[in-house]
Amino acid sequence: MRPPPTNRPRFRVKERVVRPFPLGRRTVYGLTVWLVLTPGFLPAEDERLKTGQLIYDRQCAECHGPGGAGVEGAYEARLIGDESIGQLTERIAATMPEGEPEACRGEEAAAVAAYIHHTFYSPAARVRNRPPRVELARLTADQLRQSLADLYAAAGGAAGGTPGLVAERGLRGEYYNAPHRKKDEIKLERVDPTIDFDWGDEGPGAEINPEEFYVEWNGGLKIDETGRYEIIVRGSCSFVVDFGHEQRRLIDNHVQSGDRTEFRETLHLTAGRIYPFRIEFRQRKRKTEQPPARISLHWVPPGGVEQTIPTDQLVPVRVPPVFPLQTDLPPDDRSYGYERGIAISRQWDDAITAAAIEFAEITTAELWPADRRRHRNDPDEDRSVLRQFLADLLTVAFRGPLSDAQRQQYIDQQLDQAEDDTLAIKRVLLMAIKSPRFLYPLADSHRDRSHQAASRLALTLHDSLPSDRWLTRLTEQGKLDEPKRIRQAAERMVDDYRTRAKTRTFLYGWLQLEEAGPLDKDSQQFPGFEPLLVADLQASLDRLLDEIVWSEESDYRQLFQNPWTFTTPRMAEFYGDAYRPTAGDEALSRTSDNNGQHRGLLTHPYLLSRLAYHNTSSPIHRGVFLLRHVLGRTIRPPMEAFAPISPDLHPDLTTRQRVDLQTGAGTCATCHQKINGLGFTLENFDAVGRYRIEERAQRLDATGQYVTTTDQTVTLDGVDELARFLATSQDAQRAFVRRAFQHFVKQPPAAFGPETLDQLTESFAAQGYSIRQLLVEIAVVAATENRTVNDRRPDQGS
Amino acid sequence: MTNLATRREFLIRSGVSAAAANWALGLPSLLGHSATNRPKQRLIILFSPNGVIPKHFWPDPDSESLELKRILQPLAPFQDQLLTAHGVCNRIKGDGDGHMRGMGCLLTGIELFPGDIQGGSDTPAGWSQGISIDQFLKNRLQADEATQTRFGSLEFGVMVPERADIWTRMSYAGPNQPVAPIDNPYRMFDKLYGKSENRALLASVLDDLTDDFQQVEKLISAEDRRLLRDHVEMVREVERELQTERKRSGDAAAAGHAVPQLPPNVKEENDNLPLICRMQMDMLVSSLAADFTRVATFQITNSVGQPRMKWLDIEEGHHTLSHEPDSNEKAYEKLIQINTWYCEQVAYLARRLRETPEPGGDGNLLDHTTILWTNELGKGNSHTRNNIPFLFVGGGLGWKTGRALDFGSVPHNRMLISLCQAMGQPVDSFGNPDFCGDGGLTGLA
Repeated sequence: MRPPPTNRPRFRVKERVVRPFPLGRRTVYGLTVWLVLTPGFLPAEDERLKTGQLIYDRQCAECHGPGGAGVEGAYEARLIGDESIGQLTERIAATMPEGEPEACRGEEAAAVAAYIHHTFYSPAARVRNRPPRVELARLTADQLRQSLADLYAAAGGAAGGTPGLVAERGLRGEYYNAPHRKKDEIKLERVDPTIDFDWGDEGPGAEINPEEFYVEWNGGLKIDETGRYEIIVRGSCSFVVDFGHEQRRLIDNHVQSGDRTEFRETLHLTAGRIYPFRIEFRQRKRKTEQPPARISLHWVPPGGVEQTIPTDQLVPVRVPPVFPLQTDLPPDDRSYGYERGIAISRQWDDAITAAAIEFAEITTAELWPADRRRHRNDPDEDRSVLRQFLADLLTVAFRGPLSDAQRQQYIDQQLDQAEDDTLAIKRVLLMAIKSPRFLYPLADSHRDRSHQAASRLALTLHDSLPSDRWLTRLTEQGKLDEPKRIRQAAERMVDDYRTRAKTRTFLYGWLQLEEAGPLDKDSQQFPGFEPLLVADLQASLDRLLDEIVWSEESDYRQLFQNPWTFTTPRMAEFYGDAYRPTAGDEALSRTSDNNGQHRGLLTHPYLLSRLAYHNTSSPIHRGVFLLRHVLGRTIRPPMEAFAPISPDLHPDLTTRQRVDLQTGAGTCATCHQKINGLGFTLENFDAVGRYRIEERAQRLDATGQYVTTTDQTVTLDGVDELARFLATSQDAQRAFVRRAFQHFVKQPPAAFGPETLDQLTESFAAQGYSIRQLLVEIAVVAATENRTVNDRRPDQGS
Repeated sequence: MTNLATRREFLIRSGVSAAAANWALGLPSLLGHSATNRPKQRLIILFSPNGVIPKHFWPDPDSESLELKRILQPLAPFQDQLLTAHGVCNRIKGDGDGHMRGMGCLLTGIELFPGDIQGGSDTPAGWSQGISIDQFLKNRLQADEATQTRFGSLEFGVMVPERADIWTRMSYAGPNQPVAPIDNPYRMFDKLYGKSENRALLASVLDDLTDDFQQVEKLISAEDRRLLRDHVEMVREVERELQTERKRSGDAAAAGHAVPQLPPNVKEENDNLPLICRMQMDMLVSSLAADFTRVATFQITNSVGQPRMKWLDIEEGHHTLSHEPDSNEKAYEKLIQINTWYCEQVAYLARRLRETPEPGGDGNLLDHTTILWTNELGKGNSHTRNNIPFLFVGGGLGWKTGRALDFGSVPHNRMLISLCQAMGQPVDSFGNPDFCGDGGLTGLA
């Protein structure tokens, strides 16, 4: 028999009506908070189930078997169905036990009906009881984007591939005292941190004739977040911008004309990639009046504001071309808290068709002509060059070699029907990208272990398919068949922008920052809290996350304890001394670490202002975040929505007192004790995350408490103690590991064995809480457990 | 080019019937025809570069009839539908050299912006300061439900260099907004028929795909098959939908809207210019038959274009030759041949239009379409913008044809005004008002 369900929902008593507190004049704020109500823990209902079980064991199990599994020779069928508790009660009362229905009537029948319905009979119970397993899933939107980007990269030959990590930042600038690129007239070669120049009539350098010069910037744009970006170039002279590929022209202002100086282009960019780009800027000598020479490079990142493209996003090296899919893809199922490709809709199917066509077009425009040039001296009998080109492409797309039948079906048959190469390519790719062999990476039980391992490593760490040459070579040689080699491969794959991008999404989900929308504050109370400051705050948080996660130690505990943060002059002006930059006027630099105000993310103003109202802090939001996300505890949503009491109604109360007034008593208190107890410890930070020691002329009380899953009560005073506690809390570590696993593998840890989560949590501790190492271990589990979707028997018990 | 199999043949061989191929590529029945039955008027502006040899181009002025000289001989079959307008001059001054102003002001009638592009002489310049007549007419026609079409205008090119500059653009959506012509026939095909072509392709690969779904199903567990079956069901739904569309397409095919037949794998190379020109013209005719647009430009190469017409045994580039003095007899003769070849293209287009019945109307497409053949210069070696070729073939504008008019010397802005009037979109001025003094030209209708 199955172990008893652990996640048993509790019943609510229907008669209990929950009313909002009398609020007098109810002021509803921009945010409506869902106050969390007691999950209806009702002893009476539990008693009833216990009674039901006793009756079942005594009177029913003999024929129906334990858990309703059936008994040979008696009632053999499993006791399952879809009748309601009421219907079951009636039926039991009328017919059971067989032959003496009067032995179980009334309350007893109701109890036994409730018990079997809840424990094994109902469809919901059956879902609950099913042991987790690795479930088949199609590619998610992110996985599709990444897979196509890597498919493109793999098909680029020697010019393709993906770059490793790049340490340098900025763009390489070459300044010529000539109207074009001319080797002996290069006067300046340097790395420019940003592009924002106004050279007026003076020109860019001493030896450069301001009336006639040429500047070329080369490098890459590093994208950390997938989404729509607007690229804005303002230039007073002739310039062109190529982006993504040396022949993909983004902006063509070859002709300087009139006062047209501003150019905007919007692109959907896939994260974890560096997009090559080049700007060619020239002041042409002319008989007529010349404009002063100016050029700047700005962007509007997803959900952000216009700003100069920051140095952090620019790399001064040549990088291979990148394909960013432009097709809009519908969002994926997130009902389990992480994205999974488990739904097929018409919208999705149409999007895949569009994506396939788009990929076919870029193939025709860029990949195929390049391949043809590479093989221009090869024999081309019966379009053999095209056939091989497509076979190579499909080998990557299908994550392993093509069988003869597949080659026939996917390539030869299609080529026979298309004389025109462009059409042939479109036909083949339309079919291949819509094929289950591409869309369902887990349907690979026919592959050898090496191929399975490589596919899972790429899927787990990069949301993609294996495309890097070193990896495909190992796979072809069959060398990825033992844990040690798999671990080595995972270690190599972790240090990659694709993993970093996926980690960023993971951390944003953990911090509840995904699709967070605009962040505004009461402009009277917080003058200066402007979009540009918010952009700085976000950049600071991003950099801090990168710094902690991708440092040598990669120490998870620093997420709560890091004693400094990143800051900008704008942040220093708004937040004061604790945010003074230590290094000159760099755009983003460290604060000092001895001012005692920084505790990793816990004190970060971006996070704290998100977890607040527009005019006050919100201990409830902060508490829910800590309880649910950081400590991984389950709290149920409330039965009704409440609006928070307006501060205006109680001008003498601090936020804490107001929250206590509303939620500290009665039914609310059961959950809010847990929530508020954590949220209050951050009360030293106001609605914008600024440090304070008093509110409304009263000294702040930042004490609180938490009861662990092992029933220990921890008392906490302020962020220091909170930080120290979270850094060592096993609840928090386990929650972090589980969340990471779900995000990266997109399957529950238990699908890889009941001990998986425990073992990963233990090894996390044993390896000094290294996040990087955790990701490696997760990838190794996903790649070595070797659970293809068909090697588990369907669950016998349900 | 060894095999001239067509895209349509390809579709036919891939198991899509001929009727379906027509459906898949044309879809005219779905677009419908405009509600009113007012006869359609269409204008095609066809450009060839570098001036003409006037002596062998212009017929002697005659307000009643016309006698064709050597260059225009290919148009002899269309003599009745032909009108030449001598004495029309591009007077626009300002920045830019002769070619640049010839090109950038031809259809806009207004000066170029100051800029940094230096031509062979004069001052440097930028883009035109105004909208071109094709785009202007497009906007007007699209604003009226009775004359709305799917695209409003189409901009065809033939071997236009991959370079956006004043010499390669004659169409402008507005000040500083040059419109790039599409000179790759396959790209034009995609624009016109791409969506339906993709649907047809999809229809023909789905069947193969469902077979492979069955293979993949064997690789997974029973529980997981639900997802895959949902997926196959979705694929089948799309398949059924495509089949229904296909049945409905019978009407369209019966209506006889032919879809252009493109040879495969034609590269954009000098020697393919004649072939590309034909491919583009065929698509233009189909677009008009399907009422995708009422206005089109057709730009062969560019101002200062350098096609080398080896198929006429001419090795030199056209622009280079056009600079030779009239005394260079060889060059002179070659320039006559080159312009005669351009005239043949005009005649081919006219013939294709005449062969195509006017859908839902009287006569043929040419009866309702005017081809305006023009040039950025009057004569190559002088770079004059006086007496620019304005030659009209067809009945789209309703002008009295079969004549050789001479306007003496009038600004071409007035001709642009006349074009607007003839297309039912009267205006007081077009481009720079200073050259529009007396309004449209008289004596055309």
